[in-house]
Amino acid sequence: MKARVLERADVLKIVDLLHQQGYEVFAPFSGRGRDTWFDLVTDENRDRIQVHLPNPYYPPKRFVLPHIERLLKVRQSNGDIHIEPTYREPKRAIFGIRSCDLAGIWHLDRFYLGRDFRDVYYEKRRKNLFLVNVVCTDPERDIGEECFCPCADTGPAARDHFDLQLMDLGDEFMVVAGTPAGEAFFADPMFKKATEAQVEKRHAILGEVRKQFKTTTSWFPATVRYVSQGNILEKTWEEIGNRCLECGGCTYVCPACTCFTVSDRQVGPDEIERVRIWDACALSGFTRMAGGFNPRRAVHDRRNRRFFRKLAHYFIQRELTMACAGCGRCAAVCHGDVGMPSVVEMIRRATAANDKLEPV
Amino acid sequence: MNRAVPTTSPPAAATENIYLPKLAVLDRVSDDIPEVKTFYWHFADAAEQANFKRFRPGQFAQVSLFGIGEFPASLPPSPTEDETFFTIRQVGSCTAALHQLKPGDKFAVRGPYGNGFSMEDYCGKNLVFVAGGIGLIPLRSCIVYALKHRDKYPRIQIFYGAKTPKELMYLPNLRQWQQSAGIECYLTVDRAADSWDGNVGVVGSLFKKPGVQVPVDNTIAFVCGPPVMFRFVIKDLLAMGFREGDIVSTLERYMKCGVGKCGHCCIGVAYVCVDGPVFTYEQIKKLGEDI
Repeated sequence: MKARVLERADVLKIVDLLHQQGYEVFAPFSGRGRDTWFDLVTDENRDRIQVHLPNPYYPPKRFVLPHIERLLKVRQSNGDIHIEPTYREPKRAIFGIRSCDLAGIWHLDRFYLGRDFRDVYYEKRRKNLFLVNVVCTDPERDIGEECFCPCADTGPAARDHFDLQLMDLGDEFMVVAGTPAGEAFFADPMFKKATEAQVEKRHAILGEVRKQFKTTTSWFPATVRYVSQGNILEKTWEEIGNRCLECGGCTYVCPACTCFTVSDRQVGPDEIERVRIWDACALSGFTRMAGGFNPRRAVHDRRNRRFFRKLAHYFIQRELTMACAGCGRCAAVCHGDVGMPSVVEMIRRATAANDKLEPV
Repeated sequence: MNRAVPTTSPPAAATENIYLPKLAVLDRVSDDIPEVKTFYWHFADAAEQANFKRFRPGQFAQVSLFGIGEFPASLPPSPTEDETFFTIRQVGSCTAALHQLKPGDKFAVRGPYGNGFSMEDYCGKNLVFVAGGIGLIPLRSCIVYALKHRDKYPRIQIFYGAKTPKELMYLPNLRQWQQSAGIECYLTVDRAADSWDGNVGVVGSLFKKPGVQVPVDNTIAFVCGPPVMFRFVIKDLLAMGFREGDIVSTLERYMKCGVGKCGHCCIGVAYVCVDGPVFTYEQIKKLGEDI
């Protein structure tokens, strides 16, 4: 991978270069408090883009997997049916995506484009997506109370899956290219060769920032083993389930959740569209069949399901990553405190207690 | 997990839209039992029809009624038969809409999906089919297929039960199977009407009837039916000495995509739509959810 150095004042020129190449660029902005969001960059808001800020709760996953996406347009008239698939292949870039969300998109890639069936809607959106990763280096603004990417091995600096990666060295940014498309940017003279000292500095900052993570940890290895071996007591799942308020929030902020439902809606007198909508396994109707039979009735069954799907060895083998990027959003939004880190902790303690072992 | 059988559906081409249903035309409708009808149909496109006809017994298709939605439906015909049809009980909004269709009306279908029964692997084995109620729908495909390839399977037995004689599915087929030489077909009902002179009792009661001898060695048992019937039949079969890996069934789940993406049918480590719907009892036990 090639690396270059960019003057601090020039960092938003990457957004301008993307615009020149015809990308619509999404970047993070912040309000007065913790509220932060990804928004379309325009001439008007360009200067308000934030490089360092708390990661927005609404994940950038929606740029490849929209909350609501039309799959088909169907016209029905005089008994005839005309089915037309509708695709969107926007040329999009996300500036300032965090390493955890990058890992989330990589997980979606494995899920939607892997195995026997490729999802053409996802593929078309993903094909033209340009990703500019920012390494979280500011312990005040970047690293939240709930962040635990070092435990999920996804951050703070992503090792792959970005086109360009920016890292704040203080006076300048170190820019690493992860793809030929990213490397092509280095043709611009604003990117300078990095000195030995700057490369050293990058290493030093990276070493230092790992110590700046707060108290949220998530001890995955033991829990992955317990989940995969089926050693978790029903009682533990019940305890977790009792604390779930069934709001579905964790799945909606998760950068790695993939489930969706499909619905038809009338859009004209003879026209309907078939859309897919994010769905959540935490909700009780998720598995209810016509006629009313629901194989997964109890709330702890559904909690069990969500964490099993994310942590079981079988799925990790299949998708090469856990379906958890360590972003900490579920921990931040959950009113019952059963986000991933808490669940991992509860499972670890309960299972160790059952084994009459000291928790490790 | 090990799949019950290798999936033979070819990987979708990169450009193929896995969610795009193809137009189908309803040819005729026949009443089966109360609330259940059989819908004979064909794809509007002949090439599509030929492609679809390569399905295997036990696979399913996604049926679209635009404006209402899409639902998974078993394929009761055997690929060796000429006609394609669905047998559907009216339970929800989609099936209700399908029940309203008249011959000539159009809807849409995509598939076939799922692993299906590995009928090829069962060559040389005895086949025992145990079905209750509309559980005969997915098994009909295997039965017709097996009878078409009669020489490959030493013994074929069918045990089928319904609540009342009126609710026996595929009556013409049942009569034909009962009369065919080389195949043993036993019927039972929970509540008999006056005209019924056959067995009365649950399906499991047929196993103990005088003259009935269920082969256990070198036999595959297919079990399909309501949850209660399933539990009791499994118990009977295990008591007879069947191995858990030799009992196969097909699961039903809420599905939105049929291709392993939407997540609704996922149980344990399996997506019912791509890893199933056919599972051995050994696998079903490990999945850890109600049938």
